[in-house]
Amino acid sequence: MLAGPAGALVLAFVLAAVAMLIAGVSPLDGFGALFQGSLGGRRPIAETLVQTTALLFPALGVSLAFRAGLFNIGAEGQLLIGGLFAGAVGAHFAGPGWLVIPVLLLLGMVGGGIWGGIAGWLRARFNASEIISTLMLNFIALSLAGYLVAGPLKSPLASGAETAPLLPSGWLPAFPSLGSISFGDTRLTISILIAIATAIVLSFVFTRTVFGYELRAAGEAPEAARRSGINMPRMTLIALALSGAVAGLGGAAIVTGVLHRFNTQLSPGYGYTAIAVALVGDLNPLWVCVAAFGFGILEAGGLAMQANAGVPKDAIHVIEGLIVLVLAARRYFATRATGAPV
Amino acid sequence: MSAGVSLMLTLLFLTLIKSVPIVYAALGGVISERAGVVNIGLEGMMTAGAFSAVVFTNLTGSPIIGLIAGIFFGAVLGFVLGFAATFFKVDQIVAGVGINLVALGGAAYGLVLIFNQPGASPQVTQLGPGQLLPQITTGETAMIVLGLLCAFGLNWFIYRTPWGLRIQACGENPRAVTDAGLNPLRLRLYSVIASGALAGLGGAFLSICEVNLYSDQMTAGRGFIALAAVIFGRWTPWGATGAAVFFGFFEALQYVLQGRISWLPSDAMQALPYLAALFAIAGLVGRVRAPAADGVPY
Repeated sequence: MLAGPAGALVLAFVLAAVAMLIAGVSPLDGFGALFQGSLGGRRPIAETLVQTTALLFPALGVSLAFRAGLFNIGAEGQLLIGGLFAGAVGAHFAGPGWLVIPVLLLLGMVGGGIWGGIAGWLRARFNASEIISTLMLNFIALSLAGYLVAGPLKSPLASGAETAPLLPSGWLPAFPSLGSISFGDTRLTISILIAIATAIVLSFVFTRTVFGYELRAAGEAPEAARRSGINMPRMTLIALALSGAVAGLGGAAIVTGVLHRFNTQLSPGYGYTAIAVALVGDLNPLWVCVAAFGFGILEAGGLAMQANAGVPKDAIHVIEGLIVLVLAARRYFATRATGAPV
Repeated sequence: MSAGVSLMLTLLFLTLIKSVPIVYAALGGVISERAGVVNIGLEGMMTAGAFSAVVFTNLTGSPIIGLIAGIFFGAVLGFVLGFAATFFKVDQIVAGVGINLVALGGAAYGLVLIFNQPGASPQVTQLGPGQLLPQITTGETAMIVLGLLCAFGLNWFIYRTPWGLRIQACGENPRAVTDAGLNPLRLRLYSVIASGALAGLGGAFLSICEVNLYSDQMTAGRGFIALAAVIFGRWTPWGATGAAVFFGFFEALQYVLQGRISWLPSDAMQALPYLAALFAIAGLVGRVRAPAADGVPY
């Protein structure tokens, strides 16, 4: 569906121009700073791709849950717990990179999976709305992580609340050089390749596997799915746990790829922006990649736009919200009547 | 007075204060859902109320005008959600999430644009700063009383007036409202506007009454806790009010316990109200029934 995502991205840039005019800045200058800061050279492009990656994982997680008819607004907490798991173990895990890195990424998936799974279990077992529970779990994740990095997991060497740094063998390798262009001095790692691979796998699962078919059936026609023998409570639990696992993988990727330690500043709200990314991507993993790149440009260029053109970068979050509001006119769920009470 | 009694009093007063914003938002949730619109945007409407109250108090020097502005801008977002949910028949949940993102981003954008400082606004005149009771200010007392009046008024309105019964019908069977010659879409729209006004009032309490400034993300999920209160209170005004006080108690408890019990870390205790809301919505297995047409576009 080209019209949806493409139209929404065009809308994003029109709204950005309005936000610039409100701030008294010529859109020409504003967009100049935005694109200079996001696409104007090797370093800005690398930073845009770093932001793209950070958004892509939680957006894929959100898409997965939405496809199953579940409204996961807890990607932020799942991302954080995934990062926490990876950072807590990574601080003490010495070993060769080929072992450490996959283990840390897997731990991120486990952490995020548990966090999403809690909401899934509450919905499956008690019919507790996943909308409320996933959001509550975001705040609970933040207090839990805040407590752990200020206390039991705090690095004795760090001044702030954070875990001890990962050993360099646990760092994700830098993005491979393209001809003469090297990314060794940027924050760009192979995690973007992992994110894209995840999108391809999810796309395959959705369209080519029985599980994916059942998952979509649960979302698009819950009553028919139930009558055809799909275990709906089980599907709810699995979908939310998997959704959390994908977001958690993203948290671990930030820890092993960007921060090399865990602290609660891991995410400036990627999990919330991810909802906009998933909707703009029409919940289709491959289009979500394109949408994540678009929002990556906004995230990375936003700072430059604020510094060089004087447009507050928070304008970008207003734009994201307006896009979500507009896209609400599209139909994502079969019917809310079958959902848990909100 | 012994230390124990004074601690209990502190807990009681703090519970009252911490409940107020949740009570207003929860009452807003009740009227909206009774009319058949799920208001996920309560959080954003509280944010709009909190931020605009500070802006207008700063502009005019009058916290009363700030309070009115808070109500107004909450209602404006209510109008946006209500209009989208009725005449455009959008997905109410998705639209509500959009409202929240717009409000939160808008307030952060406004902080830089209007006050030229990110993170928090400058201090403004507080609503009724003088002490009335040992630990409650005059402004807080007034807002507590007004909150109870709102609960009483909403209860009377929903159950005892023709318009209240019609609004209930919109949430249960909007077709019947059409058959009775009324427009359920319009009634739903009015209800969501009222919902936004109440949430905006709750938000204004947070910024210009409990403290005297707006800081980024100061609503901290209270709009969603209010949604949990609506469910916990079975979609009734008094039930939702009681549930909101219940969650307010856990927020107050967190402050009272902080620093008093050494093995309970304050970071972990910040999770208390959210855990309470989580347990509340999970503990009602099979015992709640939302209005039949709640969340279903007509």
